[in-house]
Amino acid sequence: MTAIRFSNVGKRYPNGHEALTGLNFALESGELAFLTGHSGAGKSTLLKLIMLMERPTRGEVWVGEQDLSRLPRKQIPFHRRQIGVVFQNHQLLFDRSVFDNVALPLQISGYDPVDAARRVRAALDKVGLLSREKLNPVTLSSGEQQRIGIARAIVHKPRLLLADEPTGNLDPALSEDIMHLFEQFNRIGTTVLIASHDLSLINRLRHRVLTLQGGRLVDDGR
Amino acid sequence: MAAEPRNSRRGGATPRRGAVQHRIGVADRMRGWLRHHMEVARQALVRLWSTPLASLMTLAVLAIALALPSFIFTALKNVEQLSAGIDTDPHISLYLDVTLSAERVDQLSRELLLRDDLVSVELISPEKGLEDFRRYTRFDDLLEFFDSNPLPAVITLIPRSSDPAALTRMQQALAQLPEVEEARLDLEWVRRLAAFMALAERSAWVLGGLLSLTVLLVVGNTVRMTIESRRDEILVSKMVGATDAWVRRPFLYSGVWFGLFGALLAWLLAQLALALIAEPVQALATLYLNGYVVQGLGIGASLTLLSTGMLLGLGGAWIAVGRHLRDIEPG
Repeated sequence: MTAIRFSNVGKRYPNGHEALTGLNFALESGELAFLTGHSGAGKSTLLKLIMLMERPTRGEVWVGEQDLSRLPRKQIPFHRRQIGVVFQNHQLLFDRSVFDNVALPLQISGYDPVDAARRVRAALDKVGLLSREKLNPVTLSSGEQQRIGIARAIVHKPRLLLADEPTGNLDPALSEDIMHLFEQFNRIGTTVLIASHDLSLINRLRHRVLTLQGGRLVDDGR
Repeated sequence: MAAEPRNSRRGGATPRRGAVQHRIGVADRMRGWLRHHMEVARQALVRLWSTPLASLMTLAVLAIALALPSFIFTALKNVEQLSAGIDTDPHISLYLDVTLSAERVDQLSRELLLRDDLVSVELISPEKGLEDFRRYTRFDDLLEFFDSNPLPAVITLIPRSSDPAALTRMQQALAQLPEVEEARLDLEWVRRLAAFMALAERSAWVLGGLLSLTVLLVVGNTVRMTIESRRDEILVSKMVGATDAWVRRPFLYSGVWFGLFGALLAWLLAQLALALIAEPVQALATLYLNGYVVQGLGIGASLTLLSTGMLLGLGGAWIAVGRHLRDIEPG
């Protein structure tokens, strides 16, 4: 069972910049893999292709059994609802509480509020921030903010969890905590792909590592 | 709107590993959709009052733009009502054959008196006509050129009907009488008033159209600024799977609220303006017609004003949302 499959994928931006070239790899469902490379190597572009924030200029991207090139624009929201994303700058909304930030994906999908509240608290509990639900995220530390971002990404139990430099702003101890959190979600079956350039941490964790260099996959970790 | 996700379930047998995905039924989605509508409407209202001064300024502009046409249309309605009640009885003047004897003329006027579709019949003999001509015009020396009285006998009729079509038919029938040289229907006054009213009404529509455009643009611009201020929220929402309709909804409700409250204020302004002119209009009306009461907006016009305001607000928001939401895409 394949969760993500890239087949000869290329992405060239209108300005001529070749972000990705001839990408071939597959991520099995239930796998956890790191995506590494220098900044500008194409890590973010690769994640954006999976999220349909960008479309490839060549090749095919498959998520589960869906060929994304055949997915019409109208279906993109429903595609995104099956994926959880964690950003480096966590993208929290500071005009609402921690609880409401985490509840957003459930509101969008139309969950019953009582059910949603239960799931939000479960997600906050998993990242260890249940006691902070009523606070505004702006009052929290960057490690805590990142955890809220993670809670928001997993609150609807996505099959696929993507993270773009989730430990970028954190100190080593906090970074390791965050990575262990991802390992926990992976253990219950979620496919996880984490873009990171924190090589020492990645090497300690002993998972599959995909390495990008100048837009090409130089090592697919197999 | 919420179509089933295409690839929401993996095919084949039970997956070896993998989280159990949440599934939401259609009924839940419908309830969620309704709930979201109500919640979004409430939040849009709260947002409106969270910046009271800015909102009031916008509402004042909308109110004036909506009040002006309401006021003009109501004023026109009053003029119409008034003119319907005023004595505007049209006359038909029969110019008789000059060769007709005085007896025959007299007989004809008596015959006409018997008709019940006429309210009054007045005979003006050639002599009386000459006298009036001398008295009311400065051309009496013209008459020196004539050996005998050149004026025909005239019978002036006031028909019971005031319908222009019926009057024209009656005029044509009377013109066919052998004694009648010419039958003239005096509809000028009525025609002029009707023409004036048509012009005023058309102008009011043009003005109303321009001011509606103002409402569209004002609401559109206000909503555009709201969209800009909520850019982050739109981006995050789209990232976690919000549909275009979901993202659009709060802004459309803002537009509707602006339109509705603008229209309510406009209603107050229009009623106030009508109250201010009520007294002089009443004084004017009693000169022509007793017992005339100045009409306000009335229920029908009030409802039209409110729904027009709401629709224009929605339209303005729709335009702004269509123009700007697509530009805000994650990536």
